[in-house]
Amino acid sequence: MMRMLRNRMTLALAAALAAAALLAPAALAADVNDIGFVDQAALANIPSFVSANRELSGYKAGLDKQFAKQMRGVRDQNTQARIAQEFQNKLAQRQRDLFAPLFERARVAIASVASSKNLSVVVDKRIVIYGGQDVTGSVIDLLNGPGDPIPPVNTPPPSSVGFVDQSQVDAVPKLKTANDDFAKFQADEQQLAQSKMKNAKSDGDRQQILKDYQTALADRQKTEIQPLVDQTRGIISDVAKKKGLLLVIDRANLIYGGTDITSDVTSAFK
Amino acid sequence: MLCLALLGASVAACGHATSPGGAPSAGPVDSRIGYVRMDELVKVHPLYSQLARLDDDMAALQLKAVGSEIARSGADVDKEERALQHELDAAAARTKAALAGKEQDYTRREQAAINAALGAGASATGPGGAQIASAIGATEQTQAQAVQQAAGQNLGAYKNALIAQDQQAVHSLQTSLAQRATRTYRAEADRLQKAEADFALQQANDDASDRLSLRTKLSNLALDDTARADVKSQLDALDRKEADAVGAMRNRDGAVLAALQKRLHDGIAAELNADVVEIHKRTIAKIDERTLETRQQLVGQAGGLGAGLAGTNVPGGVSPDMKAKLVALHQKFQHDFNDDATKMIAQFQKTRTDLLRRFGEISGVDEAAQAGADKEMDSLRKQRGDLYNEMVAQIGREVKTIAEKRGIEVVVSDVVAPAGGVDLTADAEKDIESLHE
Repeated sequence: MMRMLRNRMTLALAAALAAAALLAPAALAADVNDIGFVDQAALANIPSFVSANRELSGYKAGLDKQFAKQMRGVRDQNTQARIAQEFQNKLAQRQRDLFAPLFERARVAIASVASSKNLSVVVDKRIVIYGGQDVTGSVIDLLNGPGDPIPPVNTPPPSSVGFVDQSQVDAVPKLKTANDDFAKFQADEQQLAQSKMKNAKSDGDRQQILKDYQTALADRQKTEIQPLVDQTRGIISDVAKKKGLLLVIDRANLIYGGTDITSDVTSAFK
Repeated sequence: MLCLALLGASVAACGHATSPGGAPSAGPVDSRIGYVRMDELVKVHPLYSQLARLDDDMAALQLKAVGSEIARSGADVDKEERALQHELDAAAARTKAALAGKEQDYTRREQAAINAALGAGASATGPGGAQIASAIGATEQTQAQAVQQAAGQNLGAYKNALIAQDQQAVHSLQTSLAQRATRTYRAEADRLQKAEADFALQQANDDASDRLSLRTKLSNLALDDTARADVKSQLDALDRKEADAVGAMRNRDGAVLAALQKRLHDGIAAELNADVVEIHKRTIAKIDERTLETRQQLVGQAGGLGAGLAGTNVPGGVSPDMKAKLVALHQKFQHDFNDDATKMIAQFQKTRTDLLRRFGEISGVDEAAQAGADKEMDSLRKQRGDLYNEMVAQIGREVKTIAEKRGIEVVVSDVVAPAGGVDLTADAEKDIESLHE
């Protein structure tokens, strides 16, 4: 849900942030050429990642068979959920074991390239529509080269691109309660709609049930979530204004550098 | 996904309310960096209706996933199995009671046969042979009726259970076939619709430079009325040409879909009829087989009863011949009883195994239907992902053109707080909306 909150923030903050720009001349003078990006999908095609993926697929195929065997004849939902969770945990652990060293190596390679090109921030290619420096090729060359990449000596320079860790913002009690309440409401509405679906006699009935379900969620979102979305936008806007940032992105889209304003945002809720 | 789609709608509303026209209010901004609100741009893209339809399809499929149309839940299956178990337990109790009655009766008849044998040997004392035979005959008849009644009840229960399973199997089959046809039809409809959208987009792209050139001419204030009308007419002709081409394609696709629908309908009807006949045939054969077995058993029991006049409790002082005769009588009654009991128990075991197997088959149909639904969801997800990427790529090209014209060095999307950058959303919206025309 907070991803939605984030989206709304993007939209509603425009006016407020125009004013923020007035108060941040130092940041606005920053060099936009220090923004780089990496195509993470391309990194997934380098041999070490391909090999790890293949190994994980084989492991998963074996787990799937075991899972099907264990689930056979089990009808109790709690037992089903427990078994499913056990298998998910096994798979997640294997994934961590296989990929954590690769991710760390890639992280060091990206930092090394970014440092050598004087980039203050490297983001995911998906959010860059135009411009920026594509460092994917350099990173791949480094990863495919002999030996481990060497970490940069310096920390990234101050960046005019800020970021927030959405999971930490979501954990603020006020937002968490709202998220949980909405999730419960959604689950209840879904159950109700599913029960109605069972008795639906025509496509028309089914469409109406779906429409009612969507309307109920939208109404609830408008009354319970939207005010918090607006409040969060306002807070991020204020923080961005004070720090003189050009942009604030989600941490999920950040790969290297950037200015972390998460703690400023969460503190502002208290 | 549904929630995202829903909330996306309110986001747009919110964005427009806060920032009319989509751009931040005037003020000094860093003109070298821009951003767009991708959610809003996706909504004005010509293919958005198709994306929204895929979202709705996925939401509907998610809601139906535990509905009666796809599969019975574990709880439903448990309920049905409990009902079956209850029925079988009742039948087993009836069998047990019948066996207890038989045991008593065999004992009584055996004693009567012994008494008769002893009476015949001692001549004048006790009842005569005819009297004993008559008493045994009456008992035998009562016993035969009780056994027949119990067997009839068990057979009836078996028939009812089989017929219920038969109906359930036909219903599940019908649902499964209908879903398969729906999936096939939908896949083809989606494929054609995508091809239509791609074609429309291609047409718009092909004519984009001509259209832009004509529009540029129209925006020339110095153009006289005749020249303006001429340019407008060329613009209209361009629109008409595209609309006609897309319309013709839609007509062809409509015909293809109608033919497919008929073919699927006919195919389902034929397949369903064949399978239903086969299911009914199997059920009838099972009922016939069980009826025959029951009859044979009853006939066997009747024969055994008629032949069994003997005894065991050998009193002292009887001749070795009489003693041997009495022992033989006891062994015969014991054997007949054991045989009878074994047959009845075996019959119930067979009934139970058979019905549970049928339940297994029905569950199998459900699992297949569920797997079909999962597959359909995966397919919808993939279609949505492909379509979304295609739309974003198209939007990216439009945004790039705008950025180049305005001298902006970097443009990003998905920003949480756009601070000092230039909002290009409104400009991009105009360009993307022109693709509709």
